[in-house]
Order: sequence, then structure tokens, then C-alpha cells
Amino acid sequence: MSSHILKRLLDRLRDDGQPVRTDGGTAAAGSETAGDAPDLGSALSSLRESDAVRSAPFWLPPFLLMGFFVYGAISWNIVISFTDFGGLTLPTYDPSTFDLEMYRRAFSDGQFWIATRNTFVLLISFTGLSLAGGLGLAILVDRGIRFENWFRTIYLLPFSLSFVVTAVFWRWMYNFDSGLINASLRSIGLDFVASKWLTGSIDTGALGAIPLVPDTFYFKLFAVIFALLWQFSGYAMVVYLAGLRAIPNDQYEAARVDGASILRMYRRVILPQLRASTVSAAVVLMVFALKAFDFLYVLFGSNPGPTADILSTMMYRQAFSANQWAYGSAIAVILFLVALTVVAPYLYGEYRRGEL
Amino acid sequence: MTDTPDSDDVSRRTYLKLAGGAGAATFLAGCTGGGRESTTESTDGSGDSESTEETSGDDSDSSTEYNALEVQHWWTGGDGGAAVQALLEGFSEQYPDIELTENPVAGGAGQNLRAVIKKRILNNDPPSTWQAWPGANLQPFTDADKLEDIEESVWGHNDMKNAYLDGPQEAAQPAGNYVSVPLNIHRLNNLFYNVEVVEDAGVDPASIDSPSALVDAMATVDEAGYVGMAQQTNSAWSTGQLWAQVLLGEYGADVYADVTAGNVEANADAVRDSLDIVKQYSEYYPNDAGSISWQDANSKVISGDAAFFHQGDWAAGMYRAQDDFEYETNWDHVAFPGTEGLYSLNMDSFPMPTNNPSPEATKAFLRYVGSVDAQERFNPKKGSIPPRTDVPQDAFGPFLQNQMDDFSNSEAQPLSIQHGLAVAPDALTAFEDAMASFISSYDVEAAYSAIQSAFQ
Repeated sequence: MSSHILKRLLDRLRDDGQPVRTDGGTAAAGSETAGDAPDLGSALSSLRESDAVRSAPFWLPPFLLMGFFVYGAISWNIVISFTDFGGLTLPTYDPSTFDLEMYRRAFSDGQFWIATRNTFVLLISFTGLSLAGGLGLAILVDRGIRFENWFRTIYLLPFSLSFVVTAVFWRWMYNFDSGLINASLRSIGLDFVASKWLTGSIDTGALGAIPLVPDTFYFKLFAVIFALLWQFSGYAMVVYLAGLRAIPNDQYEAARVDGASILRMYRRVILPQLRASTVSAAVVLMVFALKAFDFLYVLFGSNPGPTADILSTMMYRQAFSANQWAYGSAIAVILFLVALTVVAPYLYGEYRRGEL
Repeated sequence: MTDTPDSDDVSRRTYLKLAGGAGAATFLAGCTGGGRESTTESTDGSGDSESTEETSGDDSDSSTEYNALEVQHWWTGGDGGAAVQALLEGFSEQYPDIELTENPVAGGAGQNLRAVIKKRILNNDPPSTWQAWPGANLQPFTDADKLEDIEESVWGHNDMKNAYLDGPQEAAQPAGNYVSVPLNIHRLNNLFYNVEVVEDAGVDPASIDSPSALVDAMATVDEAGYVGMAQQTNSAWSTGQLWAQVLLGEYGADVYADVTAGNVEANADAVRDSLDIVKQYSEYYPNDAGSISWQDANSKVISGDAAFFHQGDWAAGMYRAQDDFEYETNWDHVAFPGTEGLYSLNMDSFPMPTNNPSPEATKAFLRYVGSVDAQERFNPKKGSIPPRTDVPQDAFGPFLQNQMDDFSNSEAQPLSIQHGLAVAPDALTAFEDAMASFISSYDVEAAYSAIQSAFQ
């Protein structure tokens, strides 16, 4: 979209801006005196006339900055993951010594698989629940309730808090003796539900025989997911609310005239039109889930233990505590690929539909 | 983050002080000023300080120009901040012609500074010296040949080799030669207790002679309605510390050293049994152990809800800051059961990197760090004890004086696992992983094999 604006802007410039045209003319004149290179001259001038070159002052600086600091750093990281860089001796970066040893090491490291499993559990349950919660809130707020703006602000507010703040006070909330959660449960007589949310577990008993269901179910990761959910469902709500507001009132009325129940109306008429909102919110939430590092780090330090360890905390430990730079880089590359598989389909889909 | 263990942790208690808003800056400034004058006076008479001054005189003669000295550390606030300021002031007094740049890196209990140092070392641009755990923690540096031998230039002065006990000297030589100068010691084999609580429960801490006997003592305390041991399990390091003391107390310093040297299989029973004892302890932890910090845990001792507390002796800083909570009347300390005669070390030191931007000034600084004057300025403020055994005790409080006596009379000074003295960083990371798993499931067998693969 922005390229459209840019193009129109440049067209306008070309039409009104005499100096630009004169400039082009001079170049053409110069090539004429050279005699035998009119083609080159016109090619040059058309190159200079081209959008890409003329808009270079706008896109080139950010392109270079991004290229160097983001993509350059990612590429460098990939190179390091092929070396054996560890300790305090720099690797030689000799391509003949590059190998995939660090990736093999990761795939044979039990801890890596635990972290990967946790990462995916976090990614999927957090994103799914946030979207569901956000949609529910958006529909409620959109029903024209009183104090709508108040509710919207209240739900969105946690999103504006930093991970550090929310992690610290969720740790207090989860306190077994004095935390708000157990205190509330006890006050309504649900003492038996009150648990050690950060260290506790329940035996899944007979359910443990089902594949993929662990024998012991630890609360820790889900305590983290719940806290993140609290923080991010407000964001999903705002995205959905914008989507809902974009749907013309006629469609609600038409559905009602046709005798659709509220449930049916939402399921058949409204939800299908929220596809774009869902996809964009889901991508942002998934990327946040992959970055949940800060939250875990504040809550548990660099080692949350096997029940809540995710790839980013493991990467940090390997690189910065154990000095296993190459191994840390390999984990980072794997994490990057996971993020890419989350974002790429979205970008491709947008591209296909001409929205990019 | 805030819970990572460290010698810097002592300073955390001053959060309370700061929160109290007592104009901490002015208070500390006044403190250091006063402290400086008195220490200078007291050391002026002693032979040591004269010899230091002589050496400093020699140095300024031999090399007239010093390059600027850059010292990096993570003591940015509280006790640590006040202590390092006292140290640096003392240094500037003795070497007025050395330009001193302090370049502290706060946060992460040293983790941030360690990242900065690694980057600078890899770029071959080290600071003059920096705060570092000595011992195996420095192994990556010695492996890469990044530290200089300072046996002659530093350890040959100030009678250092006689004044330091074997344990600290061993820690200063991670690869067999002296590369670092320890400045302070925090003891790890402590058992703190609330006097009223243990008396009420009818337990005599001094008579508990082994880590396994402590289980029974905690059971008695538990029956009397108190928390047996105030321990945090929010992050794994406290349990790592505790397990090391249990191993030390139950099986002795030799087995401990053998295990940290990598012979876990040969001591399989000792490792398994000590893990099992920690598992038994865990039944007497507070209910909210999983969501509290060590300071919160220690508050339970202060408030009289819990009987015992294991932690490095920085925990005593919290007692000192507490009004009406006095040593020996309200709280007391014994060596962790079974570890009497041992002094478990957690230390900070200053190493000498190669490619040093200011070789002569750095040597002068390291010699000063190893002197009586420096350690007498730094340690009382930090709440730690000096590694030199000839530092006068006057400036220290009664608790630290007792610790200094224990240290001087100790048979052995085992190196800490959790604080990087006994095992290299990669092994320490793997050990912490083992402990993080252990506190979530208390699976002794899994923890045993994780420790085994960590230390091999």
C-alpha cells in the first residue's frame, strides 16, 4: 500500500516538477554529443527516471540499516552455528570446517526436546486461548454495553505493562499462602482447589495411559500461560473489535430479519468475516509466545526447569552461562525457523491476495 | 534475576534501606568518609601498611607513567557499592598518580558483567581488571590463554602467600598458576536459626551433628508448629547450594572434592544419599517456597515463623538491618551440620588479563587488593570476611569476627559449586539444569544421572 502512495507521489512530482525534467534532458543531450551511444544514454536516463532509483532516498537508508542489523546479524548467527565456537577462543570461520554438529547435538539432547515441547505447548495453547478470550471480550464490548470505553481500557491495560512488572506480580498472585488466587479460592470455600501453582502437580492417574498425556501434570507452564493470557487477550480483543466494527450494521439487521439466532448470526455471518483479524492477531501473539523469555527470566531466572523451559531460555543459558556460543546459535537458528514457519504462510497469503 | 545467587546479594538487603528512603546516598557517603579515616589511622601503625606504601613508592619510581586503570565490577548499590567505593578510595590514596576509571555493569547478579567481559576478551579489548569468581569459573579464560601469571608481580608482595590459606590460594590458580587475587569470602556452610523458635521446639542446633540428623530436628520443629527450613525453590540455585553442603556435611571434604573433580560414579551412593536428604528436607519447606525469593524466605526466620535457614552468610546482612533482632539473642548461627572445621568458600577476585591496557597500574591495583588495608576497608562494609588471616578484627561486627575465627582455624576450605569456584561454567550450567529438574520432581535417580553427566 505504501508503495502505491509513493508511486503516486512520484508521478505527481514528475508532472509538476520542471527541474526534474530538465535534469533528465541534460543527460540525454550529453549522450547525444557522445554520438554513438544513444541507447545507453536513454537507458541511463530511463534508469534515472525509474521509480526504484528516484525513490532510493526513501527506501535505501532503512533497507541498509535493516539489512545490516537484522538480516546481517541473522546470517552471522547462522554462520556461527556451523562452527564449534565455545569458550573464549574465536573460531576460524574456515568454511571447510563448517558442519552440522551443533544441530546433531541439539537433536540428541533430551533437554532440547523438552524445551521444544514446552515451546509448542506455549505457542498453541497461549495463542488459541488468547484469541478465544479476545473474541469473547470483543463481542461483549461490541454489544453496546454501558461504560464500553471503560471496559475496553480495562481489558487493554495489562497489554501496556512490561513483562517484568506482570511477572513479578503474578509470582505474588501464585503464592500458596498469601497469593490472591488461593486467597480467593479459600474465601469461597474451595480450599481443596488451592494449589502450589508454580511447583505443584497432579497425578493424571488412568488418563496417563492415553498417548501424549503425561503421568504427572505440572502446573508451572500453565500458570505461565494463564498469566500471559491475562496480559494479551486485551490485545486480541482490540484487533477483533476493529474487525467487528468494520462489518456493516446491515448484515446484523439482515440476519435478524431472516430470523437467525444470535449464536447462528455470529457463527455464520460475523465470524467468517473476522478471518483477517484472526490471522493478524494470531501471528502477533505467536511471535510474542516465542519471545516469552523475559517473562520466564523474571519469574524463574535463566533456568525455569524442565516443566517450563522453552527454547529461548535454553538458548540464553547455553550461550551466555555455559559459553557454548555455537550451540546457542544453533538453537537460535531453530527458533528462528519456527518463527519463520509461523510468519511465512501469513506473509505469503497476504501477498497472494495482493495486500502486500 | 533478582534471585540469582551472588556475593552481591548482600547488597540486596539495602533495598529495604533504600525503600525506607533514608537518603541512602548521603548516608553511604558519610559512612565511607568516616570509615576511611579510621582505617587509615588504624593501619598506619602496622607494619603491613608501611610495606605496602614502600612497594607503591618503588613502583612510581620505576615507571613514572601509568596508563589509566579501568576496573569493572557489578557492585553498583547497597553494601557492595559502599564497600567497593571504600576500596577504590583507599587505592587512590596510595596511588594518587594512577587515573582510575570505574566502569560498573549492574544487573543479573553479575551475569550482565560476565557477558560484557566475555565480549571484550573475545575482541581482545579487556579492561585492566574486573570482578570475577576465581577458581574453575576462570577456566575458559586460562584455556584461551587470556590471563597473565602474577605469581611474581603480585603474589610475591605483601606476604600474600603466607597470609592466604590454601583454599583461597587454590582458587587463585585455576590452571596451576596464580592469575587472580581474591578480595572477600562469603561462607556457604551456614545454618542460621531463630533462637526463640528452636528453644520453643526444644531443639539444640549445636547438637545436630549431621545433615541427616537435621531432618529429625526439623520434624520436631514442624510438630511444634513452625516451618522447619525456610527455603526458596522459585529458582534452583539455593537448592544447588544446599545439596553441596549436605554432601559436604554427610561425606566430608574429600568426597566433595572428588565429586566436583568429576568422579561422580565412584561416589554414587554419597551423591544419591545426599540428594535423598535434600528431598527429605523439602517436606519441611514453607508452603509457598516455589514463589518466594531467598529474602522472603529469610523474613520467615526473622518473623519467627521458621526455625532454620541455609544460605550464604550474606543472609546475616538482613538480620543486621533488622531492628531488635540481635545476634545470639534472636538469631544465631552454627556451621551446617557435619561441616564444623570447614569453611565453604564463595569469593570475588580480580584477575589480570593479557593484552592489558595498563599493565603496571593493574599490578599495583592487584597488589593493593591483596593487602591488609584493602581487605580491611572492603569486607566490613560488604559483610564478608577477608581471605587474608592477618587482618585486624576491630572493624568487623561480632558475627563476622566469629566467622573470621572459624576461617583461621578451618582444616579445609572447600570451593563452592554453585558460585563457580569448583566447576567450570558449562558444568555449572548443566548442574543448575539438574537442580532445576530436581526441585520440580525430586527424582533422585534423574538428578543423580544429570549431575553425573554435568561433572564428567
